[in-house]
Amino acid sequence: MNRIIVLLIISVAVLLSCTKEKTEKGAGDIQIHSLSCTLNPIEAWDTTLITVEATGSDLQYGWEANHGDFKGSGKTIKYAAGECCVGLNTITCRVFNGTGEVSDTIMIRVTTYYHPK
Amino acid sequence: MAQCCASGNPFISDAEQPALQSRVLTAALTYRYSHSEQFYHDDSPYHDLNFSQTANVNYTELQLAYGVTKWLTVMGDLGYFFNKTLHTEGQDPMRGYGLGDAALYLKFNLYSNAKARFTISPSIGMKFPVGVFDQEVDNVKLPISVQPSSGSFKYLANVFISKGIAKKMALAGFVSYEYAQLIESENFYYKYGQQWIGALYFNYRIIKSLSLDLQLRNEYRAKAKRENQEIVESSGYDVVYFTPQLTYAFKHDWYLSAFGDIPIYKYYNGIQMSFGYALSLRLTRKIDFLTIRARRQANKQSE
Repeated sequence: MNRIIVLLIISVAVLLSCTKEKTEKGAGDIQIHSLSCTLNPIEAWDTTLITVEATGSDLQYGWEANHGDFKGSGKTIKYAAGECCVGLNTITCRVFNGTGEVSDTIMIRVTTYYHPK
Repeated sequence: MAQCCASGNPFISDAEQPALQSRVLTAALTYRYSHSEQFYHDDSPYHDLNFSQTANVNYTELQLAYGVTKWLTVMGDLGYFFNKTLHTEGQDPMRGYGLGDAALYLKFNLYSNAKARFTISPSIGMKFPVGVFDQEVDNVKLPISVQPSSGSFKYLANVFISKGIAKKMALAGFVSYEYAQLIESENFYYKYGQQWIGALYFNYRIIKSLSLDLQLRNEYRAKAKRENQEIVESSGYDVVYFTPQLTYAFKHDWYLSAFGDIPIYKYYNGIQMSFGYALSLRLTRKIDFLTIRARRQANKQSE
């Protein structure tokens, strides 16, 4: 019984230590022309609008930030980040359809809201 | 990351227990509701923000523990978030849900003196980010603060010491240390600060089946680090909680506990949303296989 429990613990640890890596897909008929924002740098909790210009058929848009959050969805999105996310943040935009996926990144600096008197 | 929606499973502040006896199994299901809304800077509320935010979390945790031998207990738990929601005034709420982290502990019965009612139970453990860490809504990834899983492997060591001081009273202490592994992927680099938890428990058996626990607990988390070893100034905290708990023992080793976490001192680095309160309910079932076997043998002999 004890051996089974020890084996079970080791198996769970080994299985859970494996991580998945994300790879970018082929471009298909998609091309990203620009990825830009209205304001950079921004203060914590302020917002900036990020827009991606891309060509291709039936495009869909995915957004991801290493720090901060988004409001909305689609080709233009609002980005904001609190004090937790002060620094140079990477925003990744994925443009995809049935033929493939292309991604691009933009760096936005978030500065502190807190200015001690 | 504000502590309102701190990543990973919350610390369930149910009075800790010493290592189990051999061949004893406990299964516990906990439900916890927590609410946060006030921003803090250092040890004071911060009112200079031009918006308001609230956060609430509905969480459940299943915990299983088994006394493999008289000196070793294996314990595991798994958390699930029904919701982890951040409401910002005038905006759609952000809601994460799903499986949180899992944990596995080995708890040792280092010293136990039944006559003196004194036990020392150290344990080591590991947390696994088995849950959701990349939840999206309309292809837009939710912020880390509302993702159910912490995304990080964590290593823990703790010790629980308990001493009976009168017929119906006991005192206990608990110290825990947690070290989080760096999360590193293509566009993400983050390391949670190390965490220390220290708790003092006072246990009083009011009547045979009802007991009261009063707990004073200090949770400290150091600042996190991000790319280029940059310190996240608005992370980390030092909070002291008062946690009263009532436990009722039903027939056949069923237990029901109700407890609440009330912060009595809060210190947050930078500006962060602070923890408000939490209410929890826990149902526990204890099965002593040795007693069951002995009972069966006694029944056979009497037949």
